[in-house]
Amino acid sequence: MVVEAPSKKQCQGADCENAASALQCPTCQKIGKESFFCSQDCFKRNWSTHKVLHQNQSNPLRTLFPPKVISEPDPATGHYNPFPTFPYTGSLRPVYPLSPRREVPKRITHPDYANDGIPRSEQKFVGRNNIRILDKKEQDGMRKVCRLAREVLDIAAREVKPGVTTDYIDEVVHKACLERDSVCTSPNEVICHGIPDQRTLAEGDIVNIDVTLYHGGFHGDLNETYYVGESASKHAASVRVVETARQCLDQAIKAVKPGTPFRDYGNIIEKHAKSRDCSVIKTYCGHGINQLFHCAPNVPHYAKNKAVGTAKPGMCFTIEPMISLGSYKDKTWPDNWTSVTSDGSRTAQFEHTLLVTEDGVEVLTARLSDSPGGPMPMPVEANGEKPADTNGDKAADVATT
Amino acid sequence: MDEDEEDSPPELVANDGSNTTVPNELSSGLQDVKLTRAPITIITGYLGAGKTTLLNYILTARHGKKIAVILNEFGNSTEIEKSLTVSQDSVSSEQWLELANGCICCSVKDSGVNAIESLMDRQGTFDYILLETTGLADPGNIAPLFWVDEGLGSTIYLDGIVTLVDAKNLLRCLNEPTKEEEASEHDEHHATGPLHSTAHLQISHADVIVVNKADLVTDEELQAVQERVRSINALAEVRVTDHSRLPQLEGLVLDLHAYDKVDAGSLEFATKGHSHLDPAIGTLSLVVQVLDDAGLQRLDAWLRAVLWSRELPGSNSDTEDWDIHRIKGRVSMTDGKLKMLQGVREIFELIDGGESSPCAGKIVMIGRNIGSQTTLSAFQQSLDSALAAS
Repeated sequence: MVVEAPSKKQCQGADCENAASALQCPTCQKIGKESFFCSQDCFKRNWSTHKVLHQNQSNPLRTLFPPKVISEPDPATGHYNPFPTFPYTGSLRPVYPLSPRREVPKRITHPDYANDGIPRSEQKFVGRNNIRILDKKEQDGMRKVCRLAREVLDIAAREVKPGVTTDYIDEVVHKACLERDSVCTSPNEVICHGIPDQRTLAEGDIVNIDVTLYHGGFHGDLNETYYVGESASKHAASVRVVETARQCLDQAIKAVKPGTPFRDYGNIIEKHAKSRDCSVIKTYCGHGINQLFHCAPNVPHYAKNKAVGTAKPGMCFTIEPMISLGSYKDKTWPDNWTSVTSDGSRTAQFEHTLLVTEDGVEVLTARLSDSPGGPMPMPVEANGEKPADTNGDKAADVATT
Repeated sequence: MDEDEEDSPPELVANDGSNTTVPNELSSGLQDVKLTRAPITIITGYLGAGKTTLLNYILTARHGKKIAVILNEFGNSTEIEKSLTVSQDSVSSEQWLELANGCICCSVKDSGVNAIESLMDRQGTFDYILLETTGLADPGNIAPLFWVDEGLGSTIYLDGIVTLVDAKNLLRCLNEPTKEEEASEHDEHHATGPLHSTAHLQISHADVIVVNKADLVTDEELQAVQERVRSINALAEVRVTDHSRLPQLEGLVLDLHAYDKVDAGSLEFATKGHSHLDPAIGTLSLVVQVLDDAGLQRLDAWLRAVLWSRELPGSNSDTEDWDIHRIKGRVSMTDGKLKMLQGVREIFELIDGGESSPCAGKIVMIGRNIGSQTTLSAFQQSLDSALAAS
């Protein structure tokens, strides 16, 4: 399903012998055509003849109902790309149709946003920066749901192998949640907020699985990035981004204790990311979590932020740094949910739900002794030399959690 | 989105949607390159104070500049689109800001900020962005949305808040607010002391206050209004106008840099005794000794307690409850560096301000229930103790 970049073309201008530049007519792009010109001037000169091509359907309703362009479904599999004209940044493409929405039995308590996604209790005006302190009973509730969330993530992660679809993994998660009387309230993620579809995991991929559970009135949230197949962990760039993300989270967690301002974690994370020649995706942040899915505090992962609040015993929040190898800017797909980096480079993310204790932190979603995945060493070349991409890291540089 | 075929052709676009004239995304090696940023000015004031007139005046007076005007505040996350007028060379065109439907709950930037940035990405930077709020808006809720973290590398920055007040009606608005005009409480604790109105908030958060409709009042009335405004906010520039006409725009309404620079002169002015005419909101100024690095950490800790926890370290709870609306300061370091303090509500930051010969620093706060002499002593004492602790 990889779409190749357009090969060298001739400029579409009449009587123009120049090669086409990388620039095309935006109206053609929207209607699924490709018209490349050598320059804006040439395009202007040819405009009156060119624009006729935009009117291939002389339907008067065209302007009221813009044509919905989707690619023709593949006759063998029924799969199609729902947004074929979107300027995708890398080689990843969505593969539709989506599975029908999975039903959750009514006997399992749903949070208030289960039907329409609008978190009414979060929008109640409780004071933007008031952070809830949980009592012993509530902390136990959080321990429980976070432990269950970890179990579900591990079950899903065991399914990660080449040839499996992300939709199948979503189904596995769904079943595991039902067995634990829980509702899974976040879809699996590509970088962040991806919608599970028919794309199969390929040897060499890295994939992030994010599980959020709602059980007994509380939320637990965690995610990890996994290597798909044997070769993934031999690819130096992949290992660098995945292990850097893992280490960023570990280092941030080390700083969690009463008195630490929430604005500090971004400094720690960005410093480590930079030292590994990676960037922090700045758009998303960690968040308070308890009876509400997302509440105060806000925990940015980039340095020089003005986040408000200081950790106190009994507070629960997540840290979830998203790290990339290249550009930090991200773009959203037309499904308005999936988010990717603008240069298509790989990103990795890790997340834990944390409870501040009297003298430190309890990682509520901690790995179990049999949790799949885990840190991998930087790969060494066959001749014993370090690959050029390692930036001087030692092969034994392995995260501790 | 685009509908009828125009007579003039659109701009060619590259594969990733960007056009020829706007340089492509920064490559990872250029992350620290300075971006051209557009200033955003928030214009607030009651209905009828003259906001729209001022906006129209700016648009016509500044032909040649590319100015975006957004009507009504952001912060309402259920909206899908926002109307925005872009004016260039005296020609206005209406655009739509698509507020993305993504997961707002865990994204750092307000959707409005994202929408403006996307628009500028596609169409080039604006010279100015003017945001006109509704009449009863509380600027303290809006300013933080646009005071974007430096670490985000945004293409917009908060330039300042301009409040228009109606000279004829202001005193009535402050003294006898209608139910609608009363300031709603921001948190669970109930304010003790006198009521304050949205007009109080619009004045206390302002960087520039334009006392408009001066032609409709006598000299004495005008004097009384100015004194009242100053007693609420001694930091802001105050200008008197009729028909929203200002002698110049730059430095008065545009190019304020109210959230990056802290001007020594305006701090000095604010510390001169201003009568505490207003029972609810007032200005308080503190002296800060020259600090070393450890002292700066202690100052930061004190600010965190005051602004985040609403506690005055080391004091008994004799002082009434208070709220800080705006804080600005200049602090001198032993190594000759200058730090500037900026804050609105709970949000604050200490930024590098270049060099300065070591001298006593100053912090000025505007807020509710901090105007009295007893409060001033309590705050100064608390600060002194906090900085002295070893």
